[in-house]
Amino acid sequence: MARVAGRPANRAAERLRRVLVVVPYVVRHPGTPLEEISRLFGVAEGELLEDLNLLFMSGLPPYGPGDLIDVQVEGGRVWVGMADYFSRPIRLTRSEALALYLKGKALLGAPGLEEAPALSAALDKIERGLGADTLASLAGRVAVGGGGHVVAALATVRRAVERHERLEIEYFTAAREELSTRRIDPEHLFSAIGNWYVVAWDHQSDAERLFRADRIRSARETGETFDQRGLLGPGRPLYTRSEEDVPVRLLLRPSARWVVEYYQTEQPTLREDGWLEVTLPAKDLPWVAKLVLRLAGAATVLEPPELVRMVHESALATRSLYRRPAQDH
Amino acid sequence: MHPLERLINLVALLLDARRPLTFEDIRKVLPAYRQADAASAKRMFERDKDTLREVGIPIELAPTDPWEVEQGYRIPRDQYYLPEVTFTPDEVWALFVAAHAPGEGGEAELAFQKLSTATETNVLAAMAERTAAPGVDASGPSLGAIADALARRKAVRFKYRSAQGKPSQRDVDPYSLAFRRGNWYLVGLDRGRGEVRSYRLSRVLSAVKEIGPASAPPEGFDAAGQLEAGPWGLGLPAATARVAFSPKIAWWAIASIPGARILRTRRDGWVEVEVPSSESESFVSWVLSFGPDARLTAPRAVRDQVVAKLDALTGDG
Repeated sequence: MARVAGRPANRAAERLRRVLVVVPYVVRHPGTPLEEISRLFGVAEGELLEDLNLLFMSGLPPYGPGDLIDVQVEGGRVWVGMADYFSRPIRLTRSEALALYLKGKALLGAPGLEEAPALSAALDKIERGLGADTLASLAGRVAVGGGGHVVAALATVRRAVERHERLEIEYFTAAREELSTRRIDPEHLFSAIGNWYVVAWDHQSDAERLFRADRIRSARETGETFDQRGLLGPGRPLYTRSEEDVPVRLLLRPSARWVVEYYQTEQPTLREDGWLEVTLPAKDLPWVAKLVLRLAGAATVLEPPELVRMVHESALATRSLYRRPAQDH
Repeated sequence: MHPLERLINLVALLLDARRPLTFEDIRKVLPAYRQADAASAKRMFERDKDTLREVGIPIELAPTDPWEVEQGYRIPRDQYYLPEVTFTPDEVWALFVAAHAPGEGGEAELAFQKLSTATETNVLAAMAERTAAPGVDASGPSLGAIADALARRKAVRFKYRSAQGKPSQRDVDPYSLAFRRGNWYLVGLDRGRGEVRSYRLSRVLSAVKEIGPASAPPEGFDAAGQLEAGPWGLGLPAATARVAFSPKIAWWAIASIPGARILRTRRDGWVEVEVPSSESESFVSWVLSFGPDARLTAPRAVRDQVVAKLDALTGDG
């Protein structure tokens, strides 16, 4: 985020920021294990002890024994007392609040997340509860689109990613319209362009694969675990251009412009009549045929002829469904 | 004295003080500033004040007494302390997942840590054991700046590349931010074009510059409504339609429709479903996107639209 520039460059500021978050937590949770604080706040135990050692020399004037913050570390647990003024955490800066709020909102746009209702409630509380100049002015100004596929296997896949467990999945390959059963080692689960994706090692093809999670019809835990191979996670390209791709040349009416937003296209040429000519590299043609069908007249296939034929045949086959009244019932 | 110790003492002193303290007052009680050279002590104090502000601590100047003879420093408690916001364990976990979603994370994580202070210990402990967080990598470099401008009602200027690839400068009064299909969009008044436009943030090419106060959205502007008018939504559901899906894709198609109701499975394996619908083009397109694997049976008017589109495609129209 742009305001990250506001993050402290100086080490004293960074440590102060940390102390002002950790101390209120420990004041409120007496006897918290050091190890737990370290994990929660992402600080090494050694650094934490250094902070605590300075903390117990701090306090209020005249800095006598009764004025100093009381810090005890015993048996790996921490107590902090005599610090009422630090018993509540410091307010969130607007950019911190925005960062969390927007990440939360974006997550709500990913379909089928089991945390969605709780997240939505929590974001409402943040929006209303942090004070007028933090997020309140954003109320009603941030919208999240719903829809998208419900992913039946989402919870199972998530757990497997967390625990490095091998799965057996039934996967629907849309391009070939077939279901196959495969064993996969799922390393990442992430959402992009409104879909959930699973990055996994696929034992059937003995290669890395990117699966659309909504096309996993069922997922079964195998009870086996795997060693991570360090596959690339979120942020990776969803589509990798290859030499074998067929360059599909499409002519798009203005109403079909979204195709350019949604898919990776090349060589756009805007014609005078407002139609846009683009090249869409495709691994398989059947899905492009469906796309053209969906665009119903707002797109024309220029190349390859094979796709022109495919679209025509698919349209004929679909049209024929409506000529059989017997199927109406 | 260690700088951290001095800073903690300064924050504690100013938070606890009943009235604003002048630098002389502070120097009298805080040993760290009591060096012989007053000028260098003052310089150190100035640097410390900057550090406090950097951390987000509100430190301000105010008269030390009603006679307003002297100005002193204070940290107003109502501006320093986080207001009490309590979350259920489920909400804390959900915020944790959000804070740890991919993308720029430092600030969101810090926000989460501050918010979760009052949480039951065991909730946070259980959470720290779960590591992998699924999520959305949606933050672009301009998101923070634009959200900030939206929150403070500022107009913005940036260089933008349109879908056709032509870059140009845009001056925009932000109305809302919308997240759709994995992308953040700014919706606002394009001053140069005099109309409401949406901008995908990943197409913003420059830093975002604020250019003064923004105009308010027109009466009745609805941020959520902007999301529906697009090729991916099914339009605002106004009615229901009946669609039959082939056995090959039925399970997958049905999972994609919120609010779908399965009516029956026919002997040939096709599954009949009642789905929320509208008479919009986008609903017709959605039906067509399944090709010969979906057949719309009702309502008649939409069915006629589907057939007309197919006739046009096959050259029978």
